[in-house]
Amino acid sequence: MLNKIIVSVQKSDFDLNSEMETLKLKTEKAGAVVIFVGKVRDLEDDNLKYLEIESFEELAKSQIKEICDDAANKWDLEYVLVKHRFGRLKINDNIVLVITSSKHRKKSYEASEFIMEYLKSNVPFWKKEVADKTQKWVENS
Amino acid sequence: MGKVKLKYFSRIRETIGKTSELVEIKSTNIQDLIEELQAMGEQYSVLKGRDFAVYSAVDQNIVTDVKTSIEGATEIAFFPPMTGG
Repeated sequence: MLNKIIVSVQKSDFDLNSEMETLKLKTEKAGAVVIFVGKVRDLEDDNLKYLEIESFEELAKSQIKEICDDAANKWDLEYVLVKHRFGRLKINDNIVLVITSSKHRKKSYEASEFIMEYLKSNVPFWKKEVADKTQKWVENS
Repeated sequence: MGKVKLKYFSRIRETIGKTSELVEIKSTNIQDLIEELQAMGEQYSVLKGRDFAVYSAVDQNIVTDVKTSIEGATEIAFFPPMTGG
């Protein structure tokens, strides 16, 4: 049973270099690491002032933990980490970090995509785009 | 049934105007609870889900069936479709 699952719902930013250092200490049998970062982007037809991310923290954390457990079992991962931010974020600020690690790359890629797809519509976060002309809650496309 | 903590998120929180409240309820399932709340004020009609789907979580378990029992629950949350990632 994999015990290298790290989940965090947090206001603060994350640091890729320190996450990699932590991972290396725990994954000597893994040859692949896939890192996905979701960040705040500007809008096509308006100027984003900021993105407000609201969360139901306790439930979000347990939902993410559950999907990480599933992914770890399904793809035999050596390590899986998800850190999702909430609060007020500006353009280019980091939103989410997903790290998956396995012996070979295919499993890490597939697990990363699986986790991100799940995060998009099954974990209680909501984004509000506040721009120069409008402000609106983001809807899933 | 007793007192239950209700939590609201995102567009639902904005419409109802509160993040949470402690309410004495009689209902024993989600559907009846929404009707009961609606009788407390027009702002609760957002829970009917006319403009967007409304999800609920009973004691931090997301439920998909509005007939789900809420007997014995201490916390019920209402929220719109989730947009994480």
